[in-house]
Amino acid sequence: MAFAENHINTDVPEKDVFALHFLQTLSNLSTQNPFSSPDKKSDRVKKIKKAAYVSMARAAGCTDRLWSRALLQRAAKRNNKIVRFPRRRKRVTWLRRRSNRRDPVEEAAAERLRNLVPGGGEMKTSKLMEETAHYIKCLSMQVKVMQCLVDGLSPK
Amino acid sequence: MMMMNGEATEAELFLNCADMSVLERQRAHLNHHHYPGFFSNSSTINGGDIDGFLASAGLDLPAVYGYTTVHGDARISVTPGNITTESGNFKKRKFGCVETETKVCNEKKKMMMMMMNREAAVEEEEEEEKSKVTEQSNKSIMMMKMKNKAKKEQNSCSNDSSKVTKDSQRTDYIHVRARRGQATDSHSIAERARREKISERMKFLQDLVPGCDKITGKAGMLDEIINYVQSLQRQVEFLSMKLATVSPRLDFNIDDIFAKEVVSAPMTNLPNTVMPPHMMVNSGYPHEMVDSGYVHFNPMQQVVASSDPLSCFNNGQSATNVWDSDVQNLYSSLGV
Repeated sequence: MAFAENHINTDVPEKDVFALHFLQTLSNLSTQNPFSSPDKKSDRVKKIKKAAYVSMARAAGCTDRLWSRALLQRAAKRNNKIVRFPRRRKRVTWLRRRSNRRDPVEEAAAERLRNLVPGGGEMKTSKLMEETAHYIKCLSMQVKVMQCLVDGLSPK
Repeated sequence: MMMMNGEATEAELFLNCADMSVLERQRAHLNHHHYPGFFSNSSTINGGDIDGFLASAGLDLPAVYGYTTVHGDARISVTPGNITTESGNFKKRKFGCVETETKVCNEKKKMMMMMMNREAAVEEEEEEEKSKVTEQSNKSIMMMKMKNKAKKEQNSCSNDSSKVTKDSQRTDYIHVRARRGQATDSHSIAERARREKISERMKFLQDLVPGCDKITGKAGMLDEIINYVQSLQRQVEFLSMKLATVSPRLDFNIDDIFAKEVVSAPMTNLPNTVMPPHMMVNSGYPHEMVDSGYVHFNPMQQVVASSDPLSCFNNGQSATNVWDSDVQNLYSSLGV
């Protein structure tokens, strides 16, 4: 089976690419809607969170990945609205014709994972695994970037 | 599409016994597969025979293909565990001699091709091949699974093609074999192939998620993965909350942060440097975004202009230290 692994490619861009995108989105955010304005804090949190996810999807190579495409599409659709995770997705036909020999516990777990990964509702399980791997890599990178930012910003 | 092999037909049995060379046996017989002459010969003969047989049987060419071979009495016991390779070329032979021989040559490296042993145990074997491409002009047979459309074009254009094509094609087959007692209908085989694919990607995921390698069982592993993703998402939420609390100072502090983090990167104080276009291409960033954020972005542009974009963080020793400690902080805070 070794040769089948050639298809799995979950390369992730460097950290600074993530940082660059995030900071650009943030600064963009602050130009559009200055933080000094009387804005509710929860609003600000949501905006920053959305900025984090969108910039992550952009840094991960826009539409190369299913999850980033789904994320960006969702963000574009409800522009100015909140990006929520997870979201219920429609079931597709291949889900219905699954064999009854599959492990129900596994399937349930995969279903939960499908709800976590953006755009996961439309993926087959093998694809879901691949996308999840990439998503995890990007997410941890984004967390690192944000952590660094928070560390740098918070008063010493 | 499927050649049912629970009961091997007479013709098939005859073929198998006569000169089918693709059956695998124990590793001890490996040396047989170093006789290319034998292979080309037998496969040439078999190619025609099996073609005829399949045509007369009115079978479509299976994308998922299983067959059974029944041998004589059992003196050499072949345990399922011993069989580690696929007998790959049965189907391919159907496609004609030219293709067959090249494929035989290509696949010999990784497959153990075993001679048929009359005294072997009754052994059920099957082979499943999902091929992206196997279209031949005279048979115009299409396989079910096509992973890569581009390669299909390539192949149909050059049917009696060079070995290079075949070499590149070799990676596209997925072989799944049924052990003794396993179901061999197309659904079961497809399901088994799917599960194999999933577990392979699971292994990949296992390396990514900390603490996942201690857990056995797919369900537990999936749970761990889910927990990890959730914790990461919560982390993002938490950090954006933190960022929001410090955000009143954010718009002017971003610049400071960059100045701080890229300490040892050479700073050239050119206020009017423009972000190099290749950077925008690399990052896939829309122009308007860059433009709208332009006013607040002078320090960043200096950094980008002063050093290579991909190394502007890694240049600074202190910066890398910050990253590394962050990684450790993250992992420890996850409680893994």
